Amino acid sequence: MPRARNDILQGTLGLLVLQTLATRGPLHGYAITAHIIQASAELLRVEEGSLYPALHRMEQDGWVKAEWGITEKNREARFYTLTPQGHKQLAQEQESWTRLTSGVRRVLRYA
Amino acid sequence: MGLFRRLTNVLRPAHHSRDVRRELQFHLDERVDALVQGGMSSADARLTAQRQLGGLVRQSERTRDAGILEWLDSFAADLRYGLRAMANHRLASVVAIVSIGLGVGANTAIFSLINAVVLRPLPVAHPEELVEITFGERHASFTNPLWEEVRALPALAGSFAFAEADLDLATGGVARRRPTNFVSGGFFPVLGVRPLAGRLLQPADDVRGCASVAVVSEGFWRRELGGAASVVGTTIQLHKHPFEIVGVVPRSFPGIAVGHATDIYAPLCAEATIEDNPTFLDGRSTWFLTVMGRLKPGQDAETASRELSARAPAVFAATLPPDWPKREQDRYLKRTLSAVASPGGYSDIRAAYSTPLYILMAVVAIVLAIACANVAQLLMARAAARQREIAVRLAIGASRWRLFRQLLTEGMLLSLIGACFGVLFAQWAGKLLVRLLGASRGTVFLDTTIDWRLLGFITIVTIVNGIVFGLAPAWRASRISPQSALRSGSQGIIRGEPGQRAGKALVIGQIALALVLVTGAGLLLDSFRRLVAVDPGFRTDGLLVVRAELGATGVPDSLHPALEAQVLDRLRAIPGVQSVATSTIAPLSHMGWNGFVVTDGFTPRDEQDGISWFNAVSPGFFRTYQTPILTGRDFGATDTEKSPRVAIVNQAAVKHFFGGAPPIGKTFREGNGDTPGEPVEVVGVVANTRYQSVDEESEPIVYYPATQAGHFGDQMRISVRSRDALSITPAITAAIAEVHPAISLDFVTMQDQVAASIARPRLLAVLSGFFGGLALLLALIGLYGTIAYSVARRRNEIGIRLALGAHPSQVVGMILREAGTLAGIGLVLGTVLTLAGSRLLAAMLYGTTPTNPATLALSIGVVLAVALSAGAIPAVRAARLDPATALRTDG
Repeated sequence: MPRARNDILQGTLGLLVLQTLATRGPLHGYAITAHIIQASAELLRVEEGSLYPALHRMEQDGWVKAEWGITEKNREARFYTLTPQGHKQLAQEQESWTRLTSGVRRVLRYA
Repeated sequence: MGLFRRLTNVLRPAHHSRDVRRELQFHLDERVDALVQGGMSSADARLTAQRQLGGLVRQSERTRDAGILEWLDSFAADLRYGLRAMANHRLASVVAIVSIGLGVGANTAIFSLINAVVLRPLPVAHPEELVEITFGERHASFTNPLWEEVRALPALAGSFAFAEADLDLATGGVARRRPTNFVSGGFFPVLGVRPLAGRLLQPADDVRGCASVAVVSEGFWRRELGGAASVVGTTIQLHKHPFEIVGVVPRSFPGIAVGHATDIYAPLCAEATIEDNPTFLDGRSTWFLTVMGRLKPGQDAETASRELSARAPAVFAATLPPDWPKREQDRYLKRTLSAVASPGGYSDIRAAYSTPLYILMAVVAIVLAIACANVAQLLMARAAARQREIAVRLAIGASRWRLFRQLLTEGMLLSLIGACFGVLFAQWAGKLLVRLLGASRGTVFLDTTIDWRLLGFITIVTIVNGIVFGLAPAWRASRISPQSALRSGSQGIIRGEPGQRAGKALVIGQIALALVLVTGAGLLLDSFRRLVAVDPGFRTDGLLVVRAELGATGVPDSLHPALEAQVLDRLRAIPGVQSVATSTIAPLSHMGWNGFVVTDGFTPRDEQDGISWFNAVSPGFFRTYQTPILTGRDFGATDTEKSPRVAIVNQAAVKHFFGGAPPIGKTFREGNGDTPGEPVEVVGVVANTRYQSVDEESEPIVYYPATQAGHFGDQMRISVRSRDALSITPAITAAIAEVHPAISLDFVTMQDQVAASIARPRLLAVLSGFFGGLALLLALIGLYGTIAYSVARRRNEIGIRLALGAHPSQVVGMILREAGTLAGIGLVLGTVLTLAGSRLLAAMLYGTTPTNPATLALSIGVVLAVALSAGAIPAVRAARLDPATALRTDG
């Protein structure tokens, strides 16, 4: 039985996070999740279990940097910002995503 | 991720994980808020949020995955697990550790000897610059005139010569000999050895007619001279000549020849003093020096060789022995000089023991391989028993790499513990081996302490071991499919399982290798047995050889015969002495005197063919050795210096030089055709005896009466036959001291001499026998384990067979067939390997061939018998199974 999957395709989580940070500025993890769900009109859902390891890995790779800050509800949260290196990475991932989707589209159309 | 980041993660682990917790806590709180806003009660919201986040703790673990800490953590867990597993299977683990310990220990011990004897360079600065100067071969002896010419050559940065001797410290009576080097003035400066006290020998000490000075080793200085600095300036007696001690050589330089610890160094020029022969150093046929040199910076041995060989014609022309036949002189002039890289110096021990040590290295490597196979099997069986557990872990999400790593860690752990025992064992075994090596040549000094080469060897062996026996089970476990493993219950799959196949392959390999070692040991033991059984042609028991030095007595040479006669008379008078005789050469002492024999009707095929051994003996020599005189007579009082020249020959000489015809009354001449000697009449024929050593064939020997053989220096070699060769020595010492107190004496029993001449084959036979037995034992354990394991897995099947009426003997037959099949395949493989490999032993064998079918057949029989007995125990146990119990139990 075919099943609708809204898990994020492996490898695209990074792209989504980078894109979110690029457009929305410094955000904490929860806001990133919320934004992705909202921006995709609930088509995509982010696994929290994947998000934080991904964020930490990106931090260690120097794509994002993190700082503790206070939210409007006066809670302590970790805010992530895109670094210049992260911008470069985003451009690269965007390009390869475009290539992938256009390739897949062609296959679906003509194969 | 960068290594630096990982490391910083390790350095702030607590901080890091606290951050992660805080961050996740925030996420959880936000989620709860959202759910409450959606209308959920706060308690429900919290539960739901937690479920979605999957438990804070696990989350933080996963997030921390990015750090190296997790890796270390899981490594520690693996270690703990490995230790626990070892504790749970105590007996098996002990067997495994002991096997590895013995294997690694034997390898380390042999390697430490190879390192000390062959690999390690001399402990001096820049040993790689040292070269030995030769005539183009590996090793050459030089005469002093030749050395003096070479010393003058500018081809090298510096050169030196040395000769080994055992000088006597006593002034009469039983000799106290100490290893001595006569060294040229350049010896210490070129080697770069610095004194511990006083000064070392310099070029100025080594001039003709030099003052008698000597330096001593630190060991000798502490042991025998009290170790005080005031020793410098005192005198010691060397060969009854006073020498002034001018300095002490530090312990860090034990000597130039590996295996010998030199106690005393005297300048080369002092050799003439010691020999009481001022012209000794001018002897152009006196070959006793080893010559070495140091390359100039940037120069290599080849360049040096070219420069040396360009000068060689002049060097040899200037030192031509005038008394040699023309043909030999021509050959002498054509010699060349070359420099051979020699960072380890020259050592006769290295020359004699390199090959045996490499053979033993191969042997112990095989033993280790067999031991490794056992441990691999053990770990594989353990992994098989854990199949279910591993399957469960895989099913709940453990990564295969993680499991793989864990099993590998266990292997490494076993290997490491085994290696530690091995190194301890090697320390002991190494010392034992050095003692065994020394059995033939007095004390052998070898530095077997651990250096980087040895350490590297042990490390590599340990890692390779761990990988070898950790990898097989790890590989298997990492390929387990959780579904099938869980489905098939605790028994696993019975037949055709890959683990069982791998185990069988290991056992076959073990049996093959064991056969190789058993056969090798068989050949070496057989050689040794033949050597021991060799009849040297005389009775060795009750025979004592006394070497008496008359040089220091001050009695003129012309009166020596009278002095010798007096000594012999006194010895004959000692109660218990049956007979006494002298000879120039003591049989089996590895000394020799040879020359050309010319007879009518005999034309030598080549130069070598015309050569015979010689000896000059006193009347009664053959009676003393109990060598039968077959025809003719012994020498007697009538054979004097002035009477017609006579000789006694052995049977081999009769056959070789006289065509087997009765030779009594016939004559021969000594010489090589250029200058034939005067005719010598044969007056007797004796049985064949071995001349230099027991492992040679019976060669032609010609005996002259001592009275007619001329002067042979100041040494007497006296053979004494008595009931007990050892206990007679004090009486002999006392008797000779009464004749003249300055006569110095050395004793050796003929039986010791024979034992020394077969020490190397004995060493090889004993060690290869030991390792062959060890290999067999390890293979037996391996086969037993495999068969017992297979029986255990087939309990149900065997139970059914018995229940259906199979006779116990059929069950025994079935199991034995399994063992026999494995052994059979292993033996076929082993025979092929043996035939291919045993050729390497050829040079070490006596009286047998590497492919001796009897030895091979016997070895196959032994291995097969052991294999079947290894199978018999589980077989009998299987036949005694109670079918009811076997069927009821599941495992």
